[in-house]
Amino acid sequence: MATGSDQAVGMAMVALSALIFTYYTVWAVVLPFVDDDHIVHQYFLPRPYAVIIPTVAGVVALSAIGSFFGYVMLQDKMKKKTK
Amino acid sequence: MTKLLQWLLGVGLLLGTWACLVWDLVPAQLSPQWKEVVWVAPMYLLMSFACYSLATIGYRVATFNDCEDAAKELQQEIEEARRDLAKKGLKLS
Repeated sequence: MATGSDQAVGMAMVALSALIFTYYTVWAVVLPFVDDDHIVHQYFLPRPYAVIIPTVAGVVALSAIGSFFGYVMLQDKMKKKTK
Repeated sequence: MTKLLQWLLGVGLLLGTWACLVWDLVPAQLSPQWKEVVWVAPMYLLMSFACYSLATIGYRVATFNDCEDAAKELQQEIEEARRDLAKKGLKLS
């Protein structure tokens, strides 16, 4: 088995993904069938946010990856120039 | 047919069905609750895939076996190579 911190990080990722999946499933699939005056609705944001938040997160993630990639490419180009 | 075409066809079919249902292009009678679920369906599938990927990566990280012997052997080989190259005049960081 992997050593201590690797195991902890791995299991944390699994737990996080389970949490996100459960919350999102309830939000997107279960809530429409629940009466509007049930208290469970106060634990969830209004429905459009179920699409907006993942989209924004996706755009941010892709931009971060893209800029990191661009940064590394630029560094490589600068090094080649000064050599 | 290439894999890319297969995937595009599958995705196209799914998105087509979704568009027909959401924009009332087909005479299907869906209750308002089911309509809500269908409207969110593509994003839900995307999120499920993302969660599955995260869980798989996390699980594989947690269960990856350490190879103590191979690690030590590799360190020794690195030292040998470093000494050998230093003798021949190459400087390693």
